Amino acid sequence: MATVKAAARHPLAGQKMRGADMVIQVVVDEGVDTIFGYSGGAILPTYDGIFKYNERNAAQKLNLIVPANEQGAGFMAAGYSRVTGKVGVALVTSGPGATNCVTPVRDAMADSIPLIVICGQVPRAAVGTDAFQEAPVFSIMSACAKHVFLIQNEQELEATVRTAFHIARSGRPGPVVIDLPKDVQNWEGVFTGEGHLSMPGYEQRLKQLRDSRMTKEKAAAFFEFVKNAQRPLVYAGGGVINANASAELREFVKTFQIPAVTTLMGIGSLDTTDDLCLHMLGMHGTAYANYAVEDCDLLIAVGARFDDRVAGVPRQFAANAKILHLDIDAAEIGKVKPVDWHHVGDAAVSLRDLLTHGKGVKTDFKAWTSQLMKLKAAHKMNYNRNGEIIQPQQVMEMINEITKGEAIYTTGVGQHQMFAAQFIDFKQPRMWLTSGSMGTMGYGLPAAIGAQVGCPDKIVIDVDGDGSIRMNLGEMETCTTYNLPVKILLLNNLGDGMVVQWQTLFFESRFSGTDKSLHKKDFVKSAEADGFEFARRVEKESDLRKTLEEFIAAKGPAFLEVMTDKNAFVYPMVGPGMSYKDMITGPYIEAREAKANGGDEKLETTAAF
Amino acid sequence: MQPENKHTISVLVSNHFGVLAKVSGMFSARGFNINSLCVGETENPEVSRMTVVVRGDHSVLAQLIQQLNKLVDVIEIQDLTQESFVERELVMIKVNAGQEQRGAVIEVASIFRAKIVDVGQHCMTIEVTGAEGKIRACIDMMRAFGIAELVRSGEIAISRAAK
Repeated sequence: MATVKAAARHPLAGQKMRGADMVIQVVVDEGVDTIFGYSGGAILPTYDGIFKYNERNAAQKLNLIVPANEQGAGFMAAGYSRVTGKVGVALVTSGPGATNCVTPVRDAMADSIPLIVICGQVPRAAVGTDAFQEAPVFSIMSACAKHVFLIQNEQELEATVRTAFHIARSGRPGPVVIDLPKDVQNWEGVFTGEGHLSMPGYEQRLKQLRDSRMTKEKAAAFFEFVKNAQRPLVYAGGGVINANASAELREFVKTFQIPAVTTLMGIGSLDTTDDLCLHMLGMHGTAYANYAVEDCDLLIAVGARFDDRVAGVPRQFAANAKILHLDIDAAEIGKVKPVDWHHVGDAAVSLRDLLTHGKGVKTDFKAWTSQLMKLKAAHKMNYNRNGEIIQPQQVMEMINEITKGEAIYTTGVGQHQMFAAQFIDFKQPRMWLTSGSMGTMGYGLPAAIGAQVGCPDKIVIDVDGDGSIRMNLGEMETCTTYNLPVKILLLNNLGDGMVVQWQTLFFESRFSGTDKSLHKKDFVKSAEADGFEFARRVEKESDLRKTLEEFIAAKGPAFLEVMTDKNAFVYPMVGPGMSYKDMITGPYIEAREAKANGGDEKLETTAAF
Repeated sequence: MQPENKHTISVLVSNHFGVLAKVSGMFSARGFNINSLCVGETENPEVSRMTVVVRGDHSVLAQLIQQLNKLVDVIEIQDLTQESFVERELVMIKVNAGQEQRGAVIEVASIFRAKIVDVGQHCMTIEVTGAEGKIRACIDMMRAFGIAELVRSGEIAISRAAK
């Protein structure tokens, strides 16, 4: 690698420039075309660097999207990263600018999204003096980022920024924060155009990861499990998408005819319209996906981590199955549940190796797949089709008929997120953007903006809730400022629906702090005030389909509020701390056993809850 | 339930600003209880060695090592408990001892090969070095005189030479 670099000397190598300009140059060199961020005192020189860069490079400008709040910048960068697979970059000022990014940084860590957050910092001499707009960014971010750099030595600036990109995208991806004192930005030095910081341990572990290819023997052991199984099931997570291993996973599933379930983060790793894809498992997974987990005798986990929304009671999760686990993070192997076989490595490489070593392996799971097809038909997703008020699931079903698995969707967090996950199809990966692990309300709108910037030609729809959208409502204006044709579909049930659902089930309907029926906001007026030319509200079912079609077809940013039934709960539901056999399918989805049905029954509260 | 054993882990880390914060931050974020953590530069000024003493069952320890392994600054981890190693801790104890008790304190200290490092009208400070058991025994003996102040370095450890 070093020889390749030496051969191609950076055209700007040897030039004198400010630290700020070096930062921008390295960001561009790393393939970034857009920065999301908000200026301020301690980051002024670097913002000036963007301005000057764009003066010099008028033909290929660095795009700058300014949010209403730095949290928005972080989620925009995350949305951009998720759809493009590139590293997203947020550039914010010190103190409040940086602390407003704590949530997106932790969110990106929890969902393994490669992100760089560059925070201005007070000059080195002022660090630790409680200076204006100073915050202990290094300590705060250390606890929630993959890595944090505080630039103390200006000579290391260039290499640090380059290294930050390398860390963000390598191994299990994650966010890297650079705490960048103002005097380092103003410092002038010689740009070298090359070099990384030395990280002997990290590099050694990456090398181990690259070298740990699946051996013939290990693959043989894997296929021994497959051959001995009658009811194998793939359990695919977000790691498949991060590793760009979707094509390999599809080929694996197709070759060996093994059906698959996906996690919330893994949606899109398989074509959800494919027969072998049983869609999402877990707390609000489809009934047939969860039944498949109950019935399987071999579970092949790929880039998934048995989290508590999937394996609430680890011992009882897929209790009758041998467990095989492929993951890039050794710490995930056996963390929740002991496994019978595992391999630590990149998902795409490992699946490709399995396909190679598995050539000639004959499998016949027809009995199992046809049993699953029956489950899929008998326990299909359903909802109240005779409601007087519009049902949120109906809106999802209808919009899905319009976008046909081809649109990018983002969400907030709560019932609307689960309805979207359950009812919307995705033919490709990197089209479903949701805050899976952290569950950050307010993720949807800024993520949609970042996604639209990353994929200007795709339809990007933010399915949001009235609680979630309020969290980053300021970003409505960002859509119109940059004329980004984001489609915001607000499902308004006048409350925090998911919490209302839990309060109904576990707190005897005491709706503490979750009823928003007295809130006065007129969202349509709000959208109009932010410059949305398409801003409508639907209250009658008869208007729904036509309005949805016009909404999707609208040029430019569009806002649609649909008033939905607050009594529409998310089912199926595996209650907290419960196992799949206690799954409640609700009043409209057929349950396999008669006991677990009925709409208004109360779930038992467990210790885990 | 597996027994909660004492584990001594030796971690080589890059000698950078903030590494201790990152390591201790990971421990607190993931709820690992650390008995002691010592850190200092090694023969290579770019590398520091941390000695971490932790109590927990096998799965806690395995998870702790895996999570340490994910920190960018961590170079190498050794679970010393898996091999033969030497452990030492240094403790200074300020004992209430006037003229009449001095002889007795010196006598006890000499049994533990402890040194007298300071003496005043009403107290003496002794320095004792050793493994956990010896330290505990020495402190227990000194309690009889009355301990005014006590400070411990935390445990450091190094593997024994291969035979």
